[in-house]
Amino acid sequence: MKIFVCVKQIPDPNTVESKLDPATKRLVRTGVSLVLDPGDETTIAAAIKLRDSLGNSELTAISMGPASAQEALRRALAMGVDRAILISDSALAGSDVLGTARTLAAALKRENPDLIFCSTESTDGYTGMVPGAIAEFLGLPQLTFAREINVEGTKAVIKRVTQTGYEVVESPLPAVVTIASGSFEAIYPTMKGIMSARKKPFSQLSLSDLGLDPSQVGEAGAREQVLSIGKAEARAAGQIIKDEGNAAEIIADFLQRHQLL
Amino acid sequence: MDFSLTEEQKLIQQTVRQFVERELMPLEHEVLRNEGRYPTGIEPERYRALQLKAKELGFWGINTPEEYGGANLGSVMTALIQMELGRTIVPFSFGGSVDNILLHYSNEKQKQEYVIPVIEGKRISCFALTEPGAGSDPSAIRTTAVKDGNHWVINGQKVFITHGNEADFAMVFAVTDREKPPQRGGVTCFLVDRAMGWTSRPIPTMGGWSPAELFFDNVRVPEDHVLGEVGQGFSLGMQWIGQGRWLIAARAVGTAERLLQMAIDYARQRVTFGKPIAERQAIQWMLADSAVEIQATKWLTLHAAWKADQKQDNRYEASLAKLYGSNMVNRVVDRALQIHGGMGYTKELPIERWYRDVRVTRIYEGTDEIQHYIIARALLKGYVHLGTWD
Repeated sequence: MKIFVCVKQIPDPNTVESKLDPATKRLVRTGVSLVLDPGDETTIAAAIKLRDSLGNSELTAISMGPASAQEALRRALAMGVDRAILISDSALAGSDVLGTARTLAAALKRENPDLIFCSTESTDGYTGMVPGAIAEFLGLPQLTFAREINVEGTKAVIKRVTQTGYEVVESPLPAVVTIASGSFEAIYPTMKGIMSARKKPFSQLSLSDLGLDPSQVGEAGAREQVLSIGKAEARAAGQIIKDEGNAAEIIADFLQRHQLL
Repeated sequence: MDFSLTEEQKLIQQTVRQFVERELMPLEHEVLRNEGRYPTGIEPERYRALQLKAKELGFWGINTPEEYGGANLGSVMTALIQMELGRTIVPFSFGGSVDNILLHYSNEKQKQEYVIPVIEGKRISCFALTEPGAGSDPSAIRTTAVKDGNHWVINGQKVFITHGNEADFAMVFAVTDREKPPQRGGVTCFLVDRAMGWTSRPIPTMGGWSPAELFFDNVRVPEDHVLGEVGQGFSLGMQWIGQGRWLIAARAVGTAERLLQMAIDYARQRVTFGKPIAERQAIQWMLADSAVEIQATKWLTLHAAWKADQKQDNRYEASLAKLYGSNMVNRVVDRALQIHGGMGYTKELPIERWYRDVRVTRIYEGTDEIQHYIIARALLKGYVHLGTWD
């Protein structure tokens, strides 16, 4: 089987304080330490697990980003991914969800994938819309919030996380699967993986390789417009309830009003 | 001049950092609570389990040759790894290591009996050179070994021996020929099993380092337990001591970086008289001085390590790094504690523990004074030519 995992290089959430550029209203990504999205690490772990259980399968990591994103892909290779593809083109700068998904989908289409793994959302932008858009561009079913995934014949079967437990959802292959965060234990690159990462196949594609026009992607093709950015409102002080015999009732009412009960 | 790390170096560094953050840092509170209970602060079985988890990833025998199953990553990589491990108060080391002299000077029988079991973690060694009257001056050792038939009989006492309480054998340095100066054939190194009769007693210290006193009372050692040649002991001892000096500086870099980051974070959020203390010049200078000194140690250390990788004599550079790095980390921990104020003095944070722990880095593996002496001697005797690159 041909399995793909979409990954992204992001400002290191452990060391970098996210900053928005007030002029472009975009996240500042230059001059900061960049890493493979920690969320993608668990998605890679899920994909590796499936590849190993299926046997006779190849796992490819794919990313759209500047040349530096190569490092994130090398890390994916060190973790055990077999092959990597980087789509890098100056015309891609400023891509919105639509442009990103269009580009990734164009690259994926050439590969005839059986299964495409994505994290539910990235740890920087958090839109959570790219996987759905990729599925749409490719005309594939999308299975979301998977905490377990298996392939049975020509079907993908997942356990889909819900508020109360899980649902079993299946779809024909090929399909796009998003992994629920925290469902798989992250894995470490191995020394062997690190030492062999450089020898694994790595290809870099530009827009023209994908047959895309610069007007369809990047700043030029963006259909999203960020109108304004602002600080989240500071959380208001909590309410202190003095127990005069009816505290439990008040608390229960409060929880019910906020649909927490 | 290229200061960047290779892709492999970066990946290894990131992986060790993640290992430290995910596996070791969560144990810090426990280690602080367990001070004095275990040599590592965590139960030996759990410590071993962590080493084995790392082994599965290939982090094993960082400097051990491949033929012994090691990763053999070289000195620069070892320094980078030590910097990462230094970031936590959990005193962790990857398994699969063996003392350099044991590896290089043992015969085939000794390799089977000592080297391989040490690499596999089945046996624990300790390096027993220092004595009550012979620390910085190892030529003053008094422990004796006298030949009796096909045995040597050892009498004497050793002190401040790292792992001396846990070790099941010791590399013991003893005078075998009083007529000869120690540097010229008077001292021999013996591999002495605890089962041959030596005993140990822990020495309580002000920090996490818990060395031992070792006692030898007519301990009979078979003659094939000499490491290297009879009379070669002093040279072996010096080689063992020399190997670790710049590693102390590497650990100091990691520890100081963590402490500086803690100080930065705290200074930003701690408000006095209406302003975060980070806006006060007094605090800013402490942060800036620390950053300068950490950076200086980093390059001193990597240079010493790089020279080792080039198979060049790095004793001078190792002394520079060790002297500067061990003093640097003592200053940085003092500033970090000062910036944290009362919080820094509590046992809620690892700072006070580090404050006590790092003091010994100015003492063991060659005191500040010895490092000064080595550096000055190299300058005065013309071993080092200022202004040259070699």
